[in-house]
Amino acid sequence: MATQTKAKLVTIVDDDELMRNALQGMLKSVGLPSQAFASAEEFLKSGQQQQTACLIADIRMPGMSGLELQAMLNAEHCRIPTIFITAHGDTKMRMQALRAGAVEFLAKPFDDEVLLDSVRAALEN
Amino acid sequence: MTNSVAGKWFKRLAAYSALRYGLAFASIAAALGLARVFLYFHLPQPFGALALSAIAITFWYGGVKPGIVATVLASLLRYYRWSEGGVVSGALYDLVFVIFALLMMELTRSRSELEVRVAQRTADLTRANEVLNLEIAQRKEAEEKLRQSEAYLAEAQRLSQTGSWARVSATGEMRYWSEECYRVLGFDPRDGQPRFETFLQRVHSDDRAKVREITAAAGRDKIDYETDYRIVHPGGEIRDIHVIAHPVFNPSGDLVEHVGTVMDVTDRKRAEEKLRQSEAYLAEAQKLTHTGSWVWDVAERRALHLSEEWYRIYGFDQKDGMSAWNKRLERIHPDDRARRQQEIDRATNEKSDYEVEYRVLLPNGAARHLHSVGHPVLDASGHLVQFVGSSTDITDRRQAEEALRQAQADLARISRITTMGELTASLAHEVNQPIAAAVTDANTCLRWLNRNEPDLQEAREAASRVVKDATRAAEIISRTRLLFKKANPQWEPVDMNEIIREMVALMGSEAARYSISVRMELAADLPQVMGDRVQLQQVLMNLMMNSIDAMKEVDGTRELVIHSQRGKNEELVVSVSDTGVGLPPQQADQIFDAFFTTKPHGTGMGLRISRSIVESHGGRLWADNNSSRGAGFHLTLPTNVEAHE
Repeated sequence: MATQTKAKLVTIVDDDELMRNALQGMLKSVGLPSQAFASAEEFLKSGQQQQTACLIADIRMPGMSGLELQAMLNAEHCRIPTIFITAHGDTKMRMQALRAGAVEFLAKPFDDEVLLDSVRAALEN
Repeated sequence: MTNSVAGKWFKRLAAYSALRYGLAFASIAAALGLARVFLYFHLPQPFGALALSAIAITFWYGGVKPGIVATVLASLLRYYRWSEGGVVSGALYDLVFVIFALLMMELTRSRSELEVRVAQRTADLTRANEVLNLEIAQRKEAEEKLRQSEAYLAEAQRLSQTGSWARVSATGEMRYWSEECYRVLGFDPRDGQPRFETFLQRVHSDDRAKVREITAAAGRDKIDYETDYRIVHPGGEIRDIHVIAHPVFNPSGDLVEHVGTVMDVTDRKRAEEKLRQSEAYLAEAQKLTHTGSWVWDVAERRALHLSEEWYRIYGFDQKDGMSAWNKRLERIHPDDRARRQQEIDRATNEKSDYEVEYRVLLPNGAARHLHSVGHPVLDASGHLVQFVGSSTDITDRRQAEEALRQAQADLARISRITTMGELTASLAHEVNQPIAAAVTDANTCLRWLNRNEPDLQEAREAASRVVKDATRAAEIISRTRLLFKKANPQWEPVDMNEIIREMVALMGSEAARYSISVRMELAADLPQVMGDRVQLQQVLMNLMMNSIDAMKEVDGTRELVIHSQRGKNEELVVSVSDTGVGLPPQQADQIFDAFFTTKPHGTGMGLRISRSIVESHGGRLWADNNSSRGAGFHLTLPTNVEAHE
């Protein structure tokens, strides 16, 4: 388990810098290492998909959206447990995300304990 | 020369004398010859009678001295040829010859005297005749002159439509009526001079009593008079007559007659009436348009003409006269005096037109906005003499403009709020983002503090992130609130790049909502413009909003590019381009019309308002389609504007 968490990172993809910093700070406070990207394209380019044990992604971003990123990863058979956080969450979007394999769909502002539980659950799987 | 003339005269005299004395010899010779012929035919000896005839002929035609010569010759011949008659008969012959010669001498002398007297009388008669002829010529000339003078006078009377007359005061009888009197007063010269009563019947019935009275009074008081009346011509035409009369007295001071003129002044009266009417119309027009006209003398700085409306505009009484012109300066708003004077001084120096707006303060405390234009009047040598022009009270217009400006500002604000309403979801997202971050950072901070061994360093970092988050949220809210604020336009220097950045920040989440990427290409050396920040933000917001709307439904790249650059002629250009559906075909010109919209819930005011805002800043706003896809909106703004008003 320890080796697993060491090898695998939590990856954050959000175009908002404040949110990226907040999420990284939160994960650090519970001892989880993380990396952050400002867009889906940057993440895909980085080649960090394999190192990612859990993905926290914003849905609405300039360029590729969070859902498009998920679809692309699915297409590459790179099934990363994904938690979506969004300010515009509606039921339709939520269902689409969950059907595509998302582990959680949270609206901003979210309860960080719920988020952390989901992250932990994802990492343990 | 003189010698030759004297010689010629002398020759002629000698020839004449020779002829006369020759006559003496010839006639005596002829008498002798005839006597010899008589003798040949044995007729009685008639030499004595023939000699007497010869003497007589010589005296008559040759003169006294040749006659004496002939007498002597005859005596000698008789003596020489016919001496046989004896001494007594010889002496008798000589005596007869002498007596005859004396008689002939006397006769010749008398004839000469008579001839001299006849010549003298003839000369007298010729002279008398000449004098008479001269007199006749002078008389003729005088008559011609008089006739001409009368013709000129008649012509002058006809041209001036003025007749002259003389009326005997005692009897009222017309002593003299010029030709033109008939024409002016509508009488026929063939009927002769009309009686005064007949004339009165022709005077317009409304004026008759006046004419009768004034004529009677003039006769009674022996005074001048002058009046106007109307006369009705036989055709029914009414003419205006002006009469002037003057009393004439005899040496003992009694009134003899009135002499005077009658003048047809119909045309002049009509022209005067026309002028009066035209002036009334002008005054009415000036009143309606609140425009006063004036003329002022540049050298003397005094008014030459001030219209009625001018007095009204400045709150003066027309009774104040031309002095009001100088008093007006005190009524001009103190803040406007220098500017106004400067403009007039400039026009005076340059001899050019001027145009200036200023306020006047009336004694009752009211303020008026005036717009004055002046035009220079130059004399023949090109010197500035006068300014003519007008001042218009544009207070109402100014108030209407102010109301319009207010209405436009209100409309713009409403439009802004409507647009903001459309942005609500995006704005909520925009505010939500830092708040969500703040909540997370605050929890993180607590987590560090709640450890068994609190990590203050990490807690401090988390807390400072909370500050950043909250500050960001506050910024968004204050920026949004500014667009909602109701405020009068504030003119100030504005950095268009800054406005673009602010609006991109505000609209960023709306763009992101539709997966639109926003790119800014901003010129680094962009000069500032004078304008109202909120209104210019609104223009950018409208254009960006339109671009986002145009790209909502399209597949493929969705890109919004905002470009700024320096333009030509001291202006800057801002372009907002998208990759959307482009301008509506065939309606590209109408998109700036009011109430034109292609959106289901659009008001059709966005572009209309944007264009009026840009134009009120002295710029232009237009649209075109991009070469590849989508539309571009371009606006220019002047960068040299010192002040708006």
